[in-house]
Amino acid sequence: MNIMAEFVVIFGVCLVSEGIAALLPVAFPASVIALLLLGLLLFTRIIKPEHIQRVSGFLVANMAFFFLPSCVGVMEHAPAVLRQLAPFLLISFLTTPLVYLVTGWTVQWLIRRSKGKGAGKDA
Amino acid sequence: MLDPVLNSPFFGLTLTAAAWCFGCWVQNKTRFLLCNPLLIAVALVIAVLSVFRIPYETYSIGGDFIKLMLGPVTAVLALNIYNQRDILKEHFLPVLAGCLVGSLTSVGSILALCKLFHVDEALTASLMPKSVTTAIAMGIAESHGGVAGISAAAVMVAGITGAVFAPIFAKLFHITEPVAEGLAIGACSHALGTTRALEIGKIQGAMSSIAICVCGILTSLLALFL
Repeated sequence: MNIMAEFVVIFGVCLVSEGIAALLPVAFPASVIALLLLGLLLFTRIIKPEHIQRVSGFLVANMAFFFLPSCVGVMEHAPAVLRQLAPFLLISFLTTPLVYLVTGWTVQWLIRRSKGKGAGKDA
Repeated sequence: MLDPVLNSPFFGLTLTAAAWCFGCWVQNKTRFLLCNPLLIAVALVIAVLSVFRIPYETYSIGGDFIKLMLGPVTAVLALNIYNQRDILKEHFLPVLAGCLVGSLTSVGSILALCKLFHVDEALTASLMPKSVTTAIAMGIAESHGGVAGISAAAVMVAGITGAVFAPIFAKLFHITEPVAEGLAIGACSHALGTTRALEIGKIQGAMSSIAICVCGILTSLLALFL
């Protein structure tokens, strides 16, 4: 598909999502609505991966570049962040193994349980 | 003479693109995890703005054009899920259960710790989505009164922690099932962790990259109840 047509699809999905986000009674990010909407269009085969392939490939390959201006925006909030730097780092660091532990154990327990059932009497 | 130049959108655009290229170059040279291109590029832009006393507003005239693309960048993550639909179907229950429990643990433990340390509301809202991928975390933070850039920083701390310690976590917590290991890495350290998961094994990498999107969506839904 024409690359501009790919942009029409992707920008169009984002535009519709902004509208949906404005209509929702709760605060929900328009970007996540766009992700869900595009997912829905893909799974219902209204849009095929080929229709958005090149633009998606470019965006995903350079993803972190698009985060840059928002990250630079932290300098505007530097005093508040520096004042709470210790809890910020501690919370970001400590919750990571906790999430690993809980997710890992839950999934492992589920898998072993279903394997046990599959093995019948041996379980 | 300098003002029209600085106030042109091309100033922010050029500086951002140049800083990004420099960040990528350093990463390529060193191949060191902490030399993350984003980290280096952000430091460089902030340094340039501070040294030349250029206000953030001037930079964001151009920077906002790039920020605008966060929506499309998040939307096309849908393609990642779609491309992995077969493996998703095969492990549907473990993926859903693991990501749901992981997202709940992440949001719950962050909120509890923020209360414990008397962290203010804006920082709490910015920290809350820190286990999910940056694009989604920024969206969640902003719609709940947080600061997107602070979320990005927290996301990076989580990502680097996961990428460095993932093999140690697996030993420590006795996680031996590849599917469980992959989902756990993706749930706690998103894309940065996934690069490590891919080195550990094929199943681990695939599960980790599925967990990125699923945890992102689940966390944004959980955030609605806060």
